[in-house]
Amino acid sequence: MEFTPNDDQRTFLGVLDQIAAGPEAAWAVGTDWQRFQWSGALDAILDENGFFDCAAEPDLGPVAAAEMVMRLAELPVLVESAASALLRPRFAPDLPRPLAVVVGPAQAIRFLPVARSVIRVGTDAVEVAELPDPAAPVDSLFAYPMGRVPADLTWRKIAADPAEMLDAWRVAVAAELAGALQGGLTSVLAHVRDRRQFGRALGSFQAVQHRLAGAAARIEGGRLMTLRAAATGDPAEAARALGWLQNSATTIAYDLHQFMGAMGLTLEHPLHRWTYRARLLRSEMSGGTANLALAADRTWSTP
Amino acid sequence: MDFDWTDEERRFRDRVRAFLDRELPGDWAEIARHGPGSPEQTEFSLQFCPRLAEAGLLVPHWPAAWGGQDRPTWEHYILGEEMWAAGEPRGAQYMNVNWIGPTLMQYGTDAQKARYIPPMAEGRAIWCQGFSEPGAGSDLASLKTRATRDGTDYVIEGQKIWTSYAGLAETCFLLARVPGSGEGKAGIAIFLVPMDTPGIEVRSIPSLIGHGDIHEVFFTGVRVPETARFGGEGEGWSIISYALANERIGIARYELSARVLGQMVAALKAEGRFDDGAVRARAGEASAACEAARMLAYRAVDRRAKGHDVGTFANIARVAVVEADRAVSDFGMEFLPEAYSGDGDAAFLAHHERAIVAGIAAGAAEIQLDLIARRHLDLPRGTA
Ligand SMILES: Cc1cc2nc3c(=O)[nH]c(=O)nc-3n(C[C@H](O)[C@H](O)[C@H](O)COP(=O)(O)OP(=O)(O)OC[C@H]3O[C@@H](n4cnc5c(N)ncnc54)[C@H](O)[C@@H]3O)c2cc1C
Repeated sequence: MEFTPNDDQRTFLGVLDQIAAGPEAAWAVGTDWQRFQWSGALDAILDENGFFDCAAEPDLGPVAAAEMVMRLAELPVLVESAASALLRPRFAPDLPRPLAVVVGPAQAIRFLPVARSVIRVGTDAVEVAELPDPAAPVDSLFAYPMGRVPADLTWRKIAADPAEMLDAWRVAVAAELAGALQGGLTSVLAHVRDRRQFGRALGSFQAVQHRLAGAAARIEGGRLMTLRAAATGDPAEAARALGWLQNSATTIAYDLHQFMGAMGLTLEHPLHRWTYRARLLRSEMSGGTANLALAADRTWSTP
Repeated sequence: MDFDWTDEERRFRDRVRAFLDRELPGDWAEIARHGPGSPEQTEFSLQFCPRLAEAGLLVPHWPAAWGGQDRPTWEHYILGEEMWAAGEPRGAQYMNVNWIGPTLMQYGTDAQKARYIPPMAEGRAIWCQGFSEPGAGSDLASLKTRATRDGTDYVIEGQKIWTSYAGLAETCFLLARVPGSGEGKAGIAIFLVPMDTPGIEVRSIPSLIGHGDIHEVFFTGVRVPETARFGGEGEGWSIISYALANERIGIARYELSARVLGQMVAALKAEGRFDDGAVRARAGEASAACEAARMLAYRAVDRRAKGHDVGTFANIARVAVVEADRAVSDFGMEFLPEAYSGDGDAAFLAHHERAIVAGIAAGAAEIQLDLIARRHLDLPRGTA
């Protein structure tokens, strides 16, 4: 057991944090009621410096990739990291990114309007397609650029096992969700430390403290389970980590909005950027309940 | 970051398991049925712990000077997981191993160490912890039991409650207030009190958590020599803070919960009920609660193993452990209610009785949440 990053991981994550504190990661209120802020500049810096390939580096590995996805998801601005960091190096290293991932029925998919390729995980095969033109955006409540898969793409099969791909994707989504929840929590913590009502800070009320402490315990537990799933590649752990975070997500999102008051319902405050990612991610891969049932199958199935 | 066991750790766990397989008697489930604090289990521990000590598995993490082998923190923790999951055959003696012994090594006089540590290392010492009082539970610093100086003696007056193991303990690790030595926390001192000292009366409290587990202990004119004082007057609070830092990660309750959940699933499968999606989802949820607790506990152990303060990581683990115990117990009662009546299932009953304690004993869950909020999330105090 080693919970501290190794030297390479520490250096890697340290540089990541510096970049993530830079101007490309700064957020601004969107125009036109926009609910998300795609940071192409941040995405490009990370891409050019090879960050999304870290899972393939022996001293960094999938666990560093998962940690990176979490940290990036804590930002109010968006980059596409989950598929790029946890699927691409292993299954399709040459695929142009950003990526969008399609699992299951036709629906609006996150990142499609900014993606250069799509990965489609079917029951029998994994296919990929490059997007010659950006996919048209779809209006959505969710805080991602959402789009539908264009009908006229050229798909090709890749030599990847769909089941393995889905397990890796569970870890990736779990990491993104853990980060989104942590980002929202951090922003609400800052608010309740500052904001005073009844002559005292909101964060001094025990009713507020206990719910936030409970949220922290759930998020951190989910985060560690996700890192373990990334490190071990255990499919039961992947389903368990994702299901746990998904089934925690909307209760936490509710509490975060409660404590932000009316300010949290504005587009001027970024809270919605995390909570409306979390709401969408709760539904990924058939949702939290299905993933927990799957974890049970995998833990106790008789071979 | 690496979340696997080393080969050495695996071998150590296998050794502990092999020992348990060999040494636990056929009727162990019956003995363990009424909980670690029951007279049956306490008596059992007096045969079991000496054998554990002989095998080098009672205090491996203690310094060699005190009968240990200076083994790493992780082995100590693995030992705790395996013992708890087996129903805690060490009974009350787990406290000696985890914190009373180490605290004595740190703060005891030579005479206290020589008198009390060897029997602990040999597995034949039963202690109880006299902290809580009728008026002082979560707010422990408000305790009222008094130890008044009288020449070179102290005379103890007062009452303790919820005291586990008091019925069979030889010695009490007692917190009392020394009049004139200070207010609040500053006025508290520790006494190591032989339970056969005249003036001590122990009454068992019937409860939902096994037989003879918790007690009231009355102290009426209990006279002890000055040499029974552990640490200085006014030092009691800082010593128990040290002692409980050793204990804070707490019992590896998720380990038993995870295993009992597996047994519950096996029972449901045997009845053909694991095909039900609702059952599987709830089983998965309970297993996730166990694994979240496990990972949060391991994070705290990792810090301790490196010699860092476990700090709030321990409080977070405690909250998660309460949730895990509850999730498994609720799962059993929802889907296997028959196991809790009639002949039932001893393992599920015993687990339930252990689980209902998790959020209260050793500091309520709400107190843990308070500490997480203030120290981990940096939220302001009550009136700030
Ligand atoms: C099985 C068992 C074994 C025990 N063994 C021992 C032992 O060996 N020795 C010993 O000294 N003690 C022992 N205890 C006592 C234990 O330490 C206390 O029960 C515990 O500290 C809580 O105190 P209390 O029961 O008086 O609850 P109270 O302090 O009265 O609190 C009751 C409830 O109120 C809530 N609460 C309290 N304070 C706050 C707060 N500040 N904010 C929000 N909510 C709050 C919590 O939900 C808490 O559970 C044992 C208890 C149990 C259940």
